[in-house]
Amino acid sequence: MTTYLVRRILYAVLTFLGITVATFALIHSVPGDPITFYLGRGMHSVPPEVLAAMRRELHLDEPLPQQYLRWLKGSVTFDFGRSTVDRRAVRDVVLEKLPNTFQLNLFAFLLAASLGVPIGLWSASRSGRLTERLSAVGFFLLYSLPSFWVALILIQLFSVRVDWLPLFGMNSDDYPSLGWGGQLVDRLKHMVLPVLTLTYAQLAIFARFSKSAVSEVIRQDYITAARAKGAGTAAVLWRHAFRNALLPLITLLGLVIPYLMSGSVIVEQIFQWDGVGLLYYNSILARDYPVVMALTVVTAVLTLIASLLADILYAFADPRVRLGEGTR
Amino acid sequence: MKRGWRLAVGGWRGSRTSRDGSLPSTANRQPPTVWRRFRRSKLATVALAYVGLMAAIALLAPVLANRKPLMQRTAEGWSFPAIADYWVDDPDIELAPQATTFALPAPVPFSPNTVDLAIRLRPPGGGHHLGTDDLGRDILARLIHGARVSLAVGFFATAIALIVGSLLGALAGYYGGAADWIVSRVIEVVLCFPFLFLVLGIVALFKPSIWTIMIALGLTSWTSEARYVRGEFLRIREVEYAQAARASGARDGRIIFRHLLPNALAPVLVSASFGVAVAILTESALSFLGLGVPLPMASWGSMLSKAHEHIEYAWWLVLFPGLAIFTTVAAFNVVGERVREALDPRSQ
Repeated sequence: MTTYLVRRILYAVLTFLGITVATFALIHSVPGDPITFYLGRGMHSVPPEVLAAMRRELHLDEPLPQQYLRWLKGSVTFDFGRSTVDRRAVRDVVLEKLPNTFQLNLFAFLLAASLGVPIGLWSASRSGRLTERLSAVGFFLLYSLPSFWVALILIQLFSVRVDWLPLFGMNSDDYPSLGWGGQLVDRLKHMVLPVLTLTYAQLAIFARFSKSAVSEVIRQDYITAARAKGAGTAAVLWRHAFRNALLPLITLLGLVIPYLMSGSVIVEQIFQWDGVGLLYYNSILARDYPVVMALTVVTAVLTLIASLLADILYAFADPRVRLGEGTR
Repeated sequence: MKRGWRLAVGGWRGSRTSRDGSLPSTANRQPPTVWRRFRRSKLATVALAYVGLMAAIALLAPVLANRKPLMQRTAEGWSFPAIADYWVDDPDIELAPQATTFALPAPVPFSPNTVDLAIRLRPPGGGHHLGTDDLGRDILARLIHGARVSLAVGFFATAIALIVGSLLGALAGYYGGAADWIVSRVIEVVLCFPFLFLVLGIVALFKPSIWTIMIALGLTSWTSEARYVRGEFLRIREVEYAQAARASGARDGRIIFRHLLPNALAPVLVSASFGVAVAILTESALSFLGLGVPLPMASWGSMLSKAHEHIEYAWWLVLFPGLAIFTTVAAFNVVGERVREALDPRSQ
């Protein structure tokens, strides 16, 4: 077990280094530097010594490897420098927006998991029947729906046709004057459409994933044995199949985070939800390189940590992984 | 063989397939069998036909939707303006009114970029079957031309991913050892990044254009292809024909490209079909965010972002482009799913 853990963690460190190198290389292969972009056309009127001073301040005058090491050192200590847009510390900006994104995604994740897993279980038990096949097609189509289109349709239905839910934003204008109950209701109302948009695609993923996990288990001999000794369908499904199917579901943990983040960019942009997705979008437009790099690294590392956790959990739960075949 | 559950999410980019990334064996399965199994699903057959239809629309867009007539007769004789300008990207020059004695208009007699402010935001009907947008451009004409962008991005991005993925997967699977280790680590790194973050960053920071999008998508979505090819190579690199080729003195390159790769490609087809769907979806997302194909080129995604601006009164702007994206993406997904099932000997 220890060997497995050590190896897995060493790989994670390597992957982390890879993530930082990739991010750094990507940003630095973009033609022009933040200053040339920031100053735009007014460039030639700025005295060269001022430009040089600005470059020095951002350490753009150093050789690339040195810049990378400096930035890596900063990243490890969560010091990503200052935003080129408003000069605030990048860490503060990111930490301010992260909870907002977390709010949306937590709701969406819980909703999708609590609906998707039972649906998957149900369809595994009815595999091949007409209702199951129809629902499989339905989920498949659901998965192909572009989220921005769904968002627009939801807005059309619930905010334009009937004025039930707000068009966009996190709070109403009178939010500060509301009591805490009113604030809660107001925030929840603003959350409904973005959460729905984030949920439906995940729902399809959860349903499909748990269905195939359970159907895989159902083929095993011990399920046949359980059936043979006379256990009822429900008992076999819940007690024998589902428990063993939970294992592969653990791996979803590590897979779903990058997916959520990608979804957040679109959903937050449509609903002007003040989270990291919108921050990323705006920072890209403004060429705010420190923020772009910080967000890229932070989301990638979140994924890395989640998949590391998933692998460790898996190893704890399934001795086959830590004892033999899994130690690549 | 613990494979099934992991494979079922093959369409979801970034999914881990099995530990060796392989699909069920296809070695002894003849193409006609797979085709027959594919045809057994009516839905998939319809989806495949739809894909073909979309491809035809994309190829024929300038002939299908053009304000210039397909065929006309003037004082100078017969000419074919719409067809002659096939390679010209909608030259929006003012047409001199010509005295024609005969003109056969295109099926949709509007060009995608013809602005006519007199007919802004017309609902469907009255000549413009799907309505007009805020600049008076015909929605149907823009949809038809948008198909070009979507399908071109879908196919070329997938082709790049296929080439990169197959090469790296083949190297990793054939040589094993250090090559395998390095490729596996690179895949791990790529999978950590949120897909859209990466593509959005590359496309926006370099220059948004249809080429940047294709390259960015291709260079970020090759991981599942690499896994499939690697898995297949691990399985077949020691089979008899490979050994025979090696014994007869063939070099590695020849064994990889002539003997092994053709036999390892079948499962990659599945991943490619899903890849086209993801690429189309991502291109439209980028264009929707205003960071995709530059305007005024018609793209389904940028049409939807127009719809967002006018959402309070123009439902037709929302409905039709979204439907186009959805049906096309769904068709590719259905085809991929069915091919996967047809290749899988267990799912009878």
